[in-house]
Amino acid sequence: MELSNDLKNLPASGDETKIVKEIFQYIVISLGDEDFGIDINYIDNILRMQQITRVPKVPAYLKGVINLRGEVIPVMSLRLKMGLSEDEIGRDTRIIILKVESEGSIGVLVDEVKEVIKLSEDQIESTTPEGGTPEARKFVSAVGKNGDQLISILDIGTINLDDI
Amino acid sequence: MDVSQYLEIFLDETNEHLQNLNKQILNLEQNPEDADTINEIFRAAHSLKGMAGTMGYKRMQNLTHDMENVFSEVRSGNIKVGPDMIDTLFQCLDALQEYTDNIKNSSDEGTNENEPLIKLLNEYLEGKGAGEAPAAAAPAASSGDAAPASDSKSSDSGNDKWNQIKFDDSQVKVLGEALKSGMKVYGINVTVKESCILKAARAFLVLKAIEEKGGEIVVSNPSSQDIEDEKFDFDFTLIVIAECPLDDLIKAASDVSEIEKVVGAPVDVDKIHLEDEEPAPAAAPQEEAPAASAPSAPSPAVPAASSAPAAPAAAANAAGKPAAKPGKPVVNRTIRVDIEKLDSLMNLVSELIIAKNSLVSASSGSAENNDFNEKIEYLESVTTNLHESVMKVRMVPIENTVQKFPRMIRDLNKKLGKKMELYMTGEDTELDRTVVDEIGDPLMHLLRNSADHGIESAEIRAERGKPETGSIFLDAYQEGNNVIIEVRDDGNGIDVEAVKNKAIEKGVITPEQAAAMADKDAINLLFHPGFSTAKEITDVSGRGVGLDVVKSKIEALSGEVSVKSVLGEGSTWTIRLPLTLAIIQTLMVVVGGEKYAISLGSIETIETISEKDIKFVENKEVINLRGQVLPLIRINELIEVEAKPPVDGMLTVVIVKKGDKMAGIVVDELRGQQEIVIKSLGKYIKQVKFISGATILGDGEVALILDTNALL
Repeated sequence: MELSNDLKNLPASGDETKIVKEIFQYIVISLGDEDFGIDINYIDNILRMQQITRVPKVPAYLKGVINLRGEVIPVMSLRLKMGLSEDEIGRDTRIIILKVESEGSIGVLVDEVKEVIKLSEDQIESTTPEGGTPEARKFVSAVGKNGDQLISILDIGTINLDDI
Repeated sequence: MDVSQYLEIFLDETNEHLQNLNKQILNLEQNPEDADTINEIFRAAHSLKGMAGTMGYKRMQNLTHDMENVFSEVRSGNIKVGPDMIDTLFQCLDALQEYTDNIKNSSDEGTNENEPLIKLLNEYLEGKGAGEAPAAAAPAASSGDAAPASDSKSSDSGNDKWNQIKFDDSQVKVLGEALKSGMKVYGINVTVKESCILKAARAFLVLKAIEEKGGEIVVSNPSSQDIEDEKFDFDFTLIVIAECPLDDLIKAASDVSEIEKVVGAPVDVDKIHLEDEEPAPAAAPQEEAPAASAPSAPSPAVPAASSAPAAPAAAANAAGKPAAKPGKPVVNRTIRVDIEKLDSLMNLVSELIIAKNSLVSASSGSAENNDFNEKIEYLESVTTNLHESVMKVRMVPIENTVQKFPRMIRDLNKKLGKKMELYMTGEDTELDRTVVDEIGDPLMHLLRNSADHGIESAEIRAERGKPETGSIFLDAYQEGNNVIIEVRDDGNGIDVEAVKNKAIEKGVITPEQAAAMADKDAINLLFHPGFSTAKEITDVSGRGVGLDVVKSKIEALSGEVSVKSVLGEGSTWTIRLPLTLAIIQTLMVVVGGEKYAISLGSIETIETISEKDIKFVENKEVINLRGQVLPLIRINELIEVEAKPPVDGMLTVVIVKKGDKMAGIVVDELRGQQEIVIKSLGKYIKQVKFISGATILGDGEVALILDTNALL
């Protein structure tokens, strides 16, 4: 996978400052029972839940559009996209605005934003997980080990470039 | 010198000058004696030359130089303007346009020397008789340049430039005192070599040399600051007080390297101009490009009118119309701004308005705080005005686009061998910049269409008892939130039967369809792709790509085009465009609890209709509205929401139209009129057929825009 290749090309860790450079930062979100990591470089903004204007005649996982600083941004449900059950909007629901160079911004609905973690090369393993729905497996590029916790790392490129 | 950074400005201004030249030469054709027009042409040609020279486009410079020479002679009355000369001049403009286009595409002017044109121009020059004295206007004319080609005349060019310098009272006093004390006052004109790179440095050396000879520089044109900043073309003029003879000063100045020539003469202080004699000193420099020849710009006719001794011919020219000069409007005080900057300004204003709106809703809870509310109201009015201003900035008159049409019709006159005249009104009608940029081609198509297919040949017109010269009209005007542009001709009109036959021949419709077809529908066949009734393919109006392209282009601008025609009397093409692409007036409606915007432009009326009045035709709901049967659209079914049950069996129906088609859209509720900013739904959401975009409402909520045209 692309991510892990990048990591392998990095110089071996020597002193403290170099280690900092090698480390990737992820935002840990939860969808149902599972935690996922999103590379912080893709993230433009994290919003509280707000009113989403429904757009007719679009796939169900596209929840509609919101107003972000005067721009109209589409919002999709990661849960539906991954074949999980419909979102239950609650206090912890957030809209994460992802920015992908060529395609503009898109918001994704997540159940909760938990924390920001730092993972270094040896904590990330580029295996396709066996569990979860087939749709979910499609979007997971690697698994990160944060202590005894396992986090599936989402491949944002796949999510966005998928035929929406 | 690296001039690439100026390329864009150069292109912009060159196009402006070319348009202006086109306009003025057309004008000249009508009034060959008009001094104002000739002056204007001269100035434009001169500026073009200066700009081309600065940018290093030699061929372009040569051509404009020769054009300028011809005009200089015309202006001084040595050559008369004839029809053949007008033709030649137009060809020159075409050649210049070609250079410009080349430069635009490759930043190189190309290799076309246009020798035949230059030869023609020189023939006019020679034809005027060699014995005549060089035009007195020529010095001012060729002043800014030291182009080698103008050597013969530039021998005396610049000789009287110091006579055009304006003095203020104190300077006159200084000069007067100097004369009294036995000093001499000289006017000196210094021309720097065109190849010179550090003009400012050379100029500085000249000034220093003169001062070393004991000369005191009283006035300089351009100002010493401008000279230092290199804000002059290739020459500058000085008024110097000195004891030593003039020749010493000239010698000292000429010794500086890269100086082309230095000329000078004693100045007659009695004849110098006071500043206030000059009616519009600011006008000329302003209309010139910074790169162009600002110092030489002051119109020669102006000093002539104020009795400059060295410009008698120009004075004679201007004498006919001395009063016209002061009234001449100062050129627009404008700056060029990249449209992207305006877009980002616009976005910021939208954000500001949304931020303001959230403040308004936050404050609505605290009614007791009057002071706070007042301030918010103030903020509200400021943001509204700001919004309006920004919108206005984007509006430009269609003038720039339509300016080229008179010339085009004139050319078509010759090409088609018909007689016709174009009359335009409403050139000052304003539209959003993006629309104005796009509307040129469709309009050109329609005008060509009128000229080629509409206007009959002179013989046929005579037979039909029409004036021999056909008329084509281009009228633009604002109507509510739309701008209407009409192209009208008094030609043959559209032959419905011919259109039908052609359509059958092309397989667009069957003979049976044709027989049943109303005239109006038949005329609309003209917009069908791949349809052209021209019997022969001409290069004037297309090969069957024409009207359908016009239609799609205008629809892409959210506009519409329609045509009315009476056979034998003429046709009228009507283009209706929204004022701006970004903002439209809408009616906000609620369907199933969701808000939608419908463009007011497509709404005919709003009706309250009883459910009992709904009839069925072919299993579809219709209503009978004042004798017209309209289909009823249950919009809630399309957008998949539950409609609110009607109150007392009454439905609110918005009647929308598209051309002649109408339909009724059932909505739950009306929320009133609102001006909205159109936003795209973005790339992720694939085009939903009947949603044309989204907008952000005052409270920050997003509402979708219903495209009723797609529903009909």
